[in-house]
Amino acid sequence: MFEPFHEVVTNVSKTILEHEKKTDRPVIGVMPAYFPMELIWAAGGYPVQLWGNNLPLEKSDAYLQAYCCSIARSVLELEMRGIAKMVKGYAFTSLCDTLINLREIYRRLFSKPTLELSIPITKTVEARRTYLRSVVQNVTDGLEAITGQKITPDALKETSQLFGHVRALQRNLYQIRREKPGLIKNHDFYTVIKAGFFLPAAVYAQMLEKLLGNLDTLEAPNGKRPRLVLSGMVFDPLEIYQLMDEFGADVVDDDFANGWRTVSKKDFQVGNLSEGVTAYLFHPAPCCCIYNPDNDRHAYLLNKVKESGADGVLFWYMKFCEPDAFDRPQLMKRLKDENIATAFVDLELSVANFDAVKTRISAFCEILEG
Amino acid sequence: MTEFAAFKKMKELLTNYYIEAKTTQEKPIAWITSGAPVEFLYAMDILPIYPENYAAMCAANHQSVELIEAAEAEGFSQDICAYARTDFGADITQGGPAAGLPPPHFLLCSTNICKTVIKWYEVIARKYDVPLFIVDTPFLHDGLTQELIDYTISQFKDLENFLSDFTGKPFDQERFFEVLYLSREAANYWQKMLYLGKNIPSPFNSLDSFIHLGPIVTLRGTKECVDYYKLLYDEVAERAEKKLASVPGETHRVLWDNLPVWFKMRRLEKFFEEHKTTLVVTTYANSWGGYGNFNLDQTDDIYESVARSYLNVYINIGFEDRIKYLAQLIDEFSLTGFIMHSNRSCKPYSIGMYRLQEELSKLTGKPGVVIEADQNDPRAYSDAQVETRLEAFIESMESISLN
Repeated sequence: MFEPFHEVVTNVSKTILEHEKKTDRPVIGVMPAYFPMELIWAAGGYPVQLWGNNLPLEKSDAYLQAYCCSIARSVLELEMRGIAKMVKGYAFTSLCDTLINLREIYRRLFSKPTLELSIPITKTVEARRTYLRSVVQNVTDGLEAITGQKITPDALKETSQLFGHVRALQRNLYQIRREKPGLIKNHDFYTVIKAGFFLPAAVYAQMLEKLLGNLDTLEAPNGKRPRLVLSGMVFDPLEIYQLMDEFGADVVDDDFANGWRTVSKKDFQVGNLSEGVTAYLFHPAPCCCIYNPDNDRHAYLLNKVKESGADGVLFWYMKFCEPDAFDRPQLMKRLKDENIATAFVDLELSVANFDAVKTRISAFCEILEG
Repeated sequence: MTEFAAFKKMKELLTNYYIEAKTTQEKPIAWITSGAPVEFLYAMDILPIYPENYAAMCAANHQSVELIEAAEAEGFSQDICAYARTDFGADITQGGPAAGLPPPHFLLCSTNICKTVIKWYEVIARKYDVPLFIVDTPFLHDGLTQELIDYTISQFKDLENFLSDFTGKPFDQERFFEVLYLSREAANYWQKMLYLGKNIPSPFNSLDSFIHLGPIVTLRGTKECVDYYKLLYDEVAERAEKKLASVPGETHRVLWDNLPVWFKMRRLEKFFEEHKTTLVVTTYANSWGGYGNFNLDQTDDIYESVARSYLNVYINIGFEDRIKYLAQLIDEFSLTGFIMHSNRSCKPYSIGMYRLQEELSKLTGKPGVVIEADQNDPRAYSDAQVETRLEAFIESMESISLN
């Protein structure tokens, strides 16, 4: 029942080209993270999320130093090698210093249009509201210029429902995973989530509905394996989940920017766009990249562990991601103070040999098993 | 370094600054980022403390490695800014030349130098359980807009309210304006001094300006700061008048982009002297000619002029504007080439540098080189690698002048 999702993830270019033709919409490459896909679809675009890949870095090295994260480097590699030919424009957010400057590199190297959802991180509410109005106006103008189509209130409403429905279905999947650990293999689970990065929402929703229907009557396997919460920016590389499936560990929840932090977002509010974007960016899950002291990551993660019944938290650290790296020591200490086991793994998307990571995760699981 | 009589005065000023920081009982202490609008703090008699400056001092005194390692032992990754790691280590061990910084009562940070400072200050806010006020100054991909100015001004007003609530007294606007004028005067002297580098030979080099940055970073907004930079300006102007070269036999005149390598100042100075190369101008030191250099002729609204200054910072502007600015410096300072420090600790300054180098060389016809290094972590630096690249760069300038 997971095969169609694996098919998408192993044939990304083919999938995108096929749906580009079917939908007759320009493909917009969406950089990490939290750019509301609803705006792109409502403008007549076909959003495709770019969270990095495992291409060997041959060309991007000329412009991005080795101390940049492998997400940025591998995404640039796609465009430089001509693999992203179908992408007609790029949507950025001002998530981190790397992405802000990456947009500038794109503007110097390529002729494709780019736009940025600049995320205001002030606590001055009125300033944020006013500024976001102008930001959202620039974003929608930019999207409309790429697609040649106006964003209408009706299109926005419809799109909000569609994407809200997709996330609600994904949340159902998360719930099944929490309630029936081991029923969905780790590798299958994240393949399902990843497939959503590349498919039109309606197509993906249909696939999810079918999958959830199939899972509905199934029960979790007997026996308890170590239960983990994973925390990090991106859930890749998928290969690691195969290893976890083999040696026996169940991820019961996560705190990934491209996982639960996005999946948890409620329907995009369309009445007032800037208010809608604010709610979308800052709620409900906190993120290391978005300053929001009213939504504390420590309390949030503690609660997640409690609610999911996890035995420990594994920090899934993508090398050179400063926002994630700054938060980790204090978060780990807080969890430790609450007698929650923690460990972390250093990862890069282009890793070819997973032996060290496997050893580290399996050692952590052995500790959890006592 | 070039010998300046003013150096003694600077040491005295900075010593007094750190003594006050460590001993004050009356003044609240705010830790503040180097590009934040400090003038609001002085207006309310709050003592600003600059962790970045302290981290640089630690490295220049060759104390950063032990502090960095103390931070790493607490779990902070080698991937994060070495200034932050140095300060975390200094805080853990109470190490460095001032035996640590005094604990903050609150924090003020501005994003015009990077977004990393938010994370850095979040760690401190959590550790000390103190408020953090952020002045968000978004990146100027397409220049300064009224929306960005209004957004920043709105936060300034909120900062005033925050300070008023914190101190329990009304915001002192009269004092604020006085401080703004002091900042402006000091920044003016600093900038005028830096522009004396246009003289051939240059009466100072950029390694000097890195050293003499101390007061404009830490004391901007005070009378002492103005007096100091007037003193320094007069001395450098006299050297320029007498055509005294900072590097005897100056042959090459070069721009340095990015922060200095604090722990290699002496060695690099010797290297450049031997190669008759003067670092004439630097984007980094120039930044403090911009902060506080409020152009009151542009607008009647003083808040707008402050917002403009703090938004329009070199590493907060798009590449198109950076290239134009660099090309202008190359032209105005009669430069023969440029060095770009790809600084592992400062992504916003460094990412895109290789593209900038290509475009700038093409535009100006001047050779440029990118060196891979780090501002504060000696473990991420190789003398051989850096000097080999610099030698090749100097040879390329020589071949151009011969042709």
